[in-house]
Amino acid sequence: MPLIELRDVSKSYRRDQIEIPVLERVSITVEAGDFLGLMGPSGSGKSTLLNLLAGIDRPTHGSVRVADTEISSLGERPLATWRARHIGFIFQLYNLIPVLTAFENVELPLLLTSLSKAQRKDHVMTALGIVGLSDRAQHYPRQLSGGQEQRVAIARAIVTDPTLLLADEPTGDLDAKSAGEVLTLLQRLNQEYKKTIVMVTHDPHAAERASHILHLEKGTLVEQAAESRA
Amino acid sequence: MKYVNLVLKSARRSKRRSALTVLSVAIAVFLFASLRAVLDGFDAVAAASSSTRVVTIRSTSMIFNMPVNHAEVIKSTPGVQDVTYANWFGGIYKDPKNFFGQFAVEPESYLRMYPEVIVSPEERKAFLEDRTGCLVGDGLAKRFDWHIGDRIVLQPGIPYYGTQDYPFTIRGIYKAGSSAVDNQSMLFQWKYLDERSLQKGEIGWIVAQVADPDRAATVALEVDRKFENSPYETKTDTEKAFSASFGKMLGNLNVLLGSVALAVVITTLFVAGNTMAMSVRERTTEIAVMRTLGYPASTIFALVVGEGLVVAILGGAIGAAIARLTINGEFLHLAGGFIPAFGVSNWNVVVGLGLSALIGVLAALLPAIMASRLKLVDALRRVA
Repeated sequence: MPLIELRDVSKSYRRDQIEIPVLERVSITVEAGDFLGLMGPSGSGKSTLLNLLAGIDRPTHGSVRVADTEISSLGERPLATWRARHIGFIFQLYNLIPVLTAFENVELPLLLTSLSKAQRKDHVMTALGIVGLSDRAQHYPRQLSGGQEQRVAIARAIVTDPTLLLADEPTGDLDAKSAGEVLTLLQRLNQEYKKTIVMVTHDPHAAERASHILHLEKGTLVEQAAESRA
Repeated sequence: MKYVNLVLKSARRSKRRSALTVLSVAIAVFLFASLRAVLDGFDAVAAASSSTRVVTIRSTSMIFNMPVNHAEVIKSTPGVQDVTYANWFGGIYKDPKNFFGQFAVEPESYLRMYPEVIVSPEERKAFLEDRTGCLVGDGLAKRFDWHIGDRIVLQPGIPYYGTQDYPFTIRGIYKAGSSAVDNQSMLFQWKYLDERSLQKGEIGWIVAQVADPDRAATVALEVDRKFENSPYETKTDTEKAFSASFGKMLGNLNVLLGSVALAVVITTLFVAGNTMAMSVRERTTEIAVMRTLGYPASTIFALVVGEGLVVAILGGAIGAAIARLTINGEFLHLAGGFIPAFGVSNWNVVVGLGLSALIGVLAALLPAIMASRLKLVDALRRVA
């Protein structure tokens, strides 16, 4: 059974009485352990698709099934609980909380669990170890480089061991070297830790790291590069 | 408990802004506690005043004196058991800033009728036997580091008490047995005052002990009737009513001070509310990120309210502590027998803290609703 199953999904927004379609009848399946790259120009609907997978947004039509749960029908509170358990989200601008240290930022999703303080510490240090920043645990975001901030954000995304990692232009704000490091890290998470990843990107070089690539244009799926690069 | 660090760090995000909010709440609670202390002082005096003692003053005003023989007339009124009288001296000890209440009293009857003035039999005897002796409250003795046997000199503050200094010897230190008695006052013999006064045989007020408290009002009426149409008409009331009317002389304090306190609290509420709203608006992105991580709207709501509470309760604690330390008769030297029980009570500290918590919750309510109802997709669109 696929991990992600989007069936006939449409999404439109209403602005000043005008219906603006963003996604039209998109159907996708992603198997557990895949690394999917979503490409397309601005406004093609790729971030909307990512938001639908994260349960941040709801489709106007169709079904979104992730990890055996039809999330489009979940209420606000169960959806938040589901998101905390199954989704790790990586943003383009890292979005770390500036008043919290790297350790505290990574710990943030764990505060929602019933883990003890000692268990939380273990998990946080493991996640920081995976991204290679154990020695930066007590640093504040302003004391880190962009690449390090994004790695802390990745540690925050993986610390709960989520079913699915969603990355929205994770290298969009980084220089080439840092971008390479982040992509290598994502690839490692996919290959070594068997994490299923869906990554939105503009950058064809970044997309090359994915095992599958989907192209979106004007809200519809135009092409599927099925070759596996794993 | 695991969210405490998050709340504290969020509250410290903008140190200057948080400090100003803490300060505004501190000022509000300080003013509230201080105003309550004044009102409580009046209430305590009224509550502790005896209903078997009636006080007679001149009908025109208590600042005018009356002849000492009024006391004998009052004593002959049916229902009156005992009588004493006193004068306000208004003397100066070294400097007018060293203000405290000084009362020239008829010593034997005064101590008999005021068992709340607690003094040892030896000191009482020494006081009664020394025409220039005096009794001082333990609070007053502590304030000036006075001891039994010390000699003190007061300059008369009222012209008809003469121009010569009044030397006294401290013969006893009394304790106040109830809120009706001030431990910051001095008692001395009326005879000493009278022999030096330019207007002989005059007293400020007379206190009569009635046998039956139910008859106190009737006795008071009878006393006033005796002096009707005389040059020294009187106004007599129970001590309780006298204390209450003394408070009323200063206007309707409850309403006045209550309105001031309310205005301060409401203003602080707006200041704190605006600050919180600004703080939440600035954090739209962070809140959206936390919601994406799985934080439910209710937790976000609780975190924002918690932040408001931390800032407000810190301010409240500072305001209440300063009020507690500074607003009391001893610290402000506000002695003189008007509000002997002056001070910020534990209860007012608790109410002040409760008030600050209320300000915190109310100020954070709207920003917390804003934060918890944040439209995630719109907020994240700004992020990405």
